[in-house]
Amino acid sequence: MNGFEAFAADFLYACVSIALFILGLTFLLIVYRIIKGPTLPDRIVGLDLLVVVAIGLIATVGVGSSYTLYIDISLALGLVGFLATVAFARFILNRGQAKDFIIMQEIKDSEKQEEQK
Amino acid sequence: MMSAVISILTGIMLIIGAIFAAGAALGINRLPDVYTRMHAASKAGTLGSGLMVLALGLYSQQWDDFMRAVATVCFFLLTAPVSAHLIARAAYVVGYKPCKETKLDELSVIKKSTEPEAPQ
Amino acid sequence: MNNMVFLMNLLLAAAWGAVTGSFTPLNLIFGFILSSIALFLIREQIAFRDYFQRGGKVLILAGSFFKELVLSSWRVLMIVIKPKIKLHPGIIAVPLSVSEDFEITLLANMVTLTPGTLSVDVSEDRKVLFVHCLNVPDPEETIDGIKNGFERQILEAFR
Repeated sequence: MNGFEAFAADFLYACVSIALFILGLTFLLIVYRIIKGPTLPDRIVGLDLLVVVAIGLIATVGVGSSYTLYIDISLALGLVGFLATVAFARFILNRGQAKDFIIMQEIKDSEKQEEQK
Repeated sequence: MMSAVISILTGIMLIIGAIFAAGAALGINRLPDVYTRMHAASKAGTLGSGLMVLALGLYSQQWDDFMRAVATVCFFLLTAPVSAHLIARAAYVVGYKPCKETKLDELSVIKKSTEPEAPQ
Repeated sequence: MNNMVFLMNLLLAAAWGAVTGSFTPLNLIFGFILSSIALFLIREQIAFRDYFQRGGKVLILAGSFFKELVLSSWRVLMIVIKPKIKLHPGIIAVPLSVSEDFEITLLANMVTLTPGTLSVDVSEDRKVLFVHCLNVPDPEETIDGIKNGFERQILEAFR
């Protein structure tokens, strides 16, 4: 192994560590929005983004452990996440059109907050 | 030699993807309402994770794994706009209002004039 | 028409070979059977016209789409990391000249992944697309951008 190849291996290791660190911070930010999120659609957008970032995390872990089967895992997680988001959107649509009490309350609250700004 | 260059390329793609994902997360925390948050989540998030999956496909140095990574990215590009569109439409139809800075809303005019009042 | 379906079946079998990473005859036959099942499942949605002759235009469309995706992510990132966010979002109505469901879907997906725009709804008669914009100082300009950009390219590629 010559110098350049050794440098490349070290560089890749450092890049994987930095990417994992950034992704950890990203998860914290998204979880903050999911907990705080004033309305239901905000939380669903947060959950959608959480799945997308988890796919990126799986790919990064795959590079770190050089285990390429992780590609298939990320594909499967993408499928499941998409179906979950579709189901959540249908849920909002159905419950909202049925004038669900909690959702109507949430809309009123968000309108009040907008006017106070 | 070849694998060293691929390692460096993989590392750079991982970092860029992570930065885009972090930008998406920052976006959903800083933007004012659910519609603008959707912009950040659907664009930057998709590009970020797509870059990372492509990096893994490149790093494996095998055609079948690389093709599978490309297929995964194509799948994300097809589904991300669909889910963003579904959430936006559901939120709008149910009645979540856009934020106050929203200047014009041509959809609200049409909804009010054509849609009969929903039964209470 | 039948030739087209058979060609599609062969292409899908080749894609199966590429994805599983082995081009042995047995695996290719298995891929052929799988892709014929897949084509049987979507038999009512299949509407080939002369897509294969227009391959170049479709490739140009895909290329400009990727460029716009990278640009739009970059712009969202730039908006987000500015210390003070000053935006004028709005929902604008874009009249459509594409008419078929497939083309409208494609246009709505592309609009969602391009700078500052996100499709919210399509009117009942499929003539107007409602687009949420991050920043609309001038609605006419945004509408012109969509109509002269992607919509024209889609019409060129699929008509």
